[in-house]
Amino acid sequence: MRLTPLPRSWPLAVRVPLVVAVLMIAVSMLIGQVVLHRLARDQERHIADLAAAYLDGVSTAVLPAAIRRDVWEAYDALDRARDRYQGLTIVFAVVTEPSGAVLAASDPRRFPVGSALPADLTERFGPDGRLTIDEREELAFLARALREGTIPVGRILVELDIGTLIAERRTVRWTLIGVNTALTLLLAALGVLLVRRMLAPLAILRAHVATGAEGPIRPVDEAVIVRQPGEFAALFRAFNRTARAVAEREAMAARLAEEEKYALLGKLASGMAHEVNNPLGGMFTAVDTLARHGADPAVRARSIGFLRRGLSDIRDVVRAGLVTSKGRVGEAALTREDLDDLRHLIRHEVERRGLTLAWQNDLPSEIPIDRTMVRQVALNLLLNACAASPPGGRVTLEATIAHGTLALTVRDDGPGLPPAARATLAAVPDAPPPGGGLGLWTAARLAAALGGRIGEGDQARGTALTLTVPFGERELARVA
Amino acid sequence: MTPHRATRRVALAGTLALLARPTRAAGTLTVGLTPVFLDSDLELLRDLDAYLSAATGLGVRLVKRRTYQEITALLLAGQLDAAWICGYPFVQHAARLAVVAVPLHRGRPLYQSYQIARADHAAKRLEDLRGTTHAFSDPDSNSGFLVTRYLLAAAGERPETFFARSFFTFGHRNVIRAVQAGLAEGGSVDGYVWEVMAEREPAIVAGTRVIGRSDWHGFPPIASLAGARRSEPVRALAAALAAMPEDPKGRAVLATLQLDGFVPAEPALFDSIARMSAVVRAQT
Repeated sequence: MRLTPLPRSWPLAVRVPLVVAVLMIAVSMLIGQVVLHRLARDQERHIADLAAAYLDGVSTAVLPAAIRRDVWEAYDALDRARDRYQGLTIVFAVVTEPSGAVLAASDPRRFPVGSALPADLTERFGPDGRLTIDEREELAFLARALREGTIPVGRILVELDIGTLIAERRTVRWTLIGVNTALTLLLAALGVLLVRRMLAPLAILRAHVATGAEGPIRPVDEAVIVRQPGEFAALFRAFNRTARAVAEREAMAARLAEEEKYALLGKLASGMAHEVNNPLGGMFTAVDTLARHGADPAVRARSIGFLRRGLSDIRDVVRAGLVTSKGRVGEAALTREDLDDLRHLIRHEVERRGLTLAWQNDLPSEIPIDRTMVRQVALNLLLNACAASPPGGRVTLEATIAHGTLALTVRDDGPGLPPAARATLAAVPDAPPPGGGLGLWTAARLAAALGGRIGEGDQARGTALTLTVPFGERELARVA
Repeated sequence: MTPHRATRRVALAGTLALLARPTRAAGTLTVGLTPVFLDSDLELLRDLDAYLSAATGLGVRLVKRRTYQEITALLLAGQLDAAWICGYPFVQHAARLAVVAVPLHRGRPLYQSYQIARADHAAKRLEDLRGTTHAFSDPDSNSGFLVTRYLLAAAGERPETFFARSFFTFGHRNVIRAVQAGLAEGGSVDGYVWEVMAEREPAIVAGTRVIGRSDWHGFPPIASLAGARRSEPVRALAAALAAMPEDPKGRAVLATLQLDGFVPAEPALFDSIARMSAVVRAQT
């Protein structure tokens, strides 16, 4: 037999008492059946013994009367014996002659002298000496042959009212049910209390675990721990150790993120310095040329033009740097130029590693997506691609929109994503992954914050990572 | 049941009793009792014993037997000083017996036989009990057998033809019980016993109804062997019975029996019974 398991959503404090109650009911039903069966058997034996004792006594008194066919003596014997047997309620006793006619009965009006016993009544009597019981009508029947030696002189039949026995059985049954129900309820109630008491430490633990959703996990006080049973004290201490380890790891991750930010800043700053420095050499040369040959209008015009271009370049770099480092989230929508600006910020990295940068920016003039966050994601992906590419490799940026979704893909010729980075993209963890990959984790978090995601495209060599951010066609129509 | 040949059976029983019984000791009074009165009342018997012992100064022994016949046999065999028997056995053995005393009931030494029926039975007279089951008291009882037997004989009937079935209960009280319980539809019973029981055990008597009363007959007498009538114990008994109303214990016994006292009587008191007996014997 397979028991239907209780729903897992039910609390233990309900399930355990319920199981206890069900087991108790099963046990009490089994015991009840055994007790009632034994009681019924004992009662039947008892009534059979009593009836046999009655017949022994009455037969002795009736036998001489039966031999003489003495109506009065037979009746008198039955009548006197009627109330003499305690615990035996005789409905009637009949003495019949060998012909089957009634010689005398304890109830002569029902069984007149000389009448024949009704067939349906005689059928209810079993073989002589064997008690038959009709439980529904609460009656028992017993008959015995009267013999003088081997000569039959008649038969004595007795019907007994066993209502008291049945009532006793009923009382026992109800008592059993009552006691068992009370016991079951008591044990179930005790079970509820016990399980709640046993599970109380779990409630403490759950409250402490829940704090982790809002902030750092709060360890359980030692004062609370010492009050708990051994198993739970050990569990609480293990929990506290875990909480401390998690806190340490979070602190370390925060520190790492901070360091990464500074590293990025440093990289940006050095890139910007380089970008500023590049035109400066030419501009100084132009200033020198002006100083020496400024009188020549052609030279002057050429030098001033050179200076203007140089300053323009520097302005672009500075502007890109300003937007990147000072931009606020939600400040403005993304423009095509915002993306192009990034070229200035990575040019130094591209040139340093001798890479080729392919840039295909098909974005419209303005897209309703936060520009600061998109630029940070793109910058991270580009810097990662530069770092991953072998010297002389090629880094590609493609930016398009289709079906209301921005798709920004960065490719490189690198060795491909390490498994940890792939896992980070598949399910962005709340804490930075241990052992690096902070840039990609930050990008993935930002993508999620934008309502998009970063996916890895199919590519034979290197890596292709695509940021997709849906923004809605209508808004595009407005800005297009 | 067929009425018996009383003489032969009594003689046989008497012989057996003679063989079985030890002779009476001197200084004792042995009195036989039959169900002509409420012999089932053991308290009454104890009181009677106590009164007779005190009044006679003799060691009194009350002897009870199931049937009249046994007591009559013991009396005839000389095993009893006296016995309270019925008028019917007295007239059957009138030559050998003498009356010691006769009870007075309602001022007269007379009583009736009642034919009774179950209270819920439709019968209004004896004739209506034809084909029913009938309870007689004792084959030697006047009121409990002879009277009814005589009435049937006068109508040319016999109990075995008139009734579907009849049986003896050997006690007037038993007749009333048998009719009340429904064992028999009708019965023949001592009218005096029925009247006394109507007061003492109304629940039983209420189940019966008197449908016929006989003529008045001599009340069952205390009798002795004619030869022993003048013996010391019998005279002491006669004196004690006559003096009962003067003694508190005696009065208590009389009150229980609802009798007024005991008086001497002549055998002629039982002539009516003798006549009925003769009619019945003639039919046999």
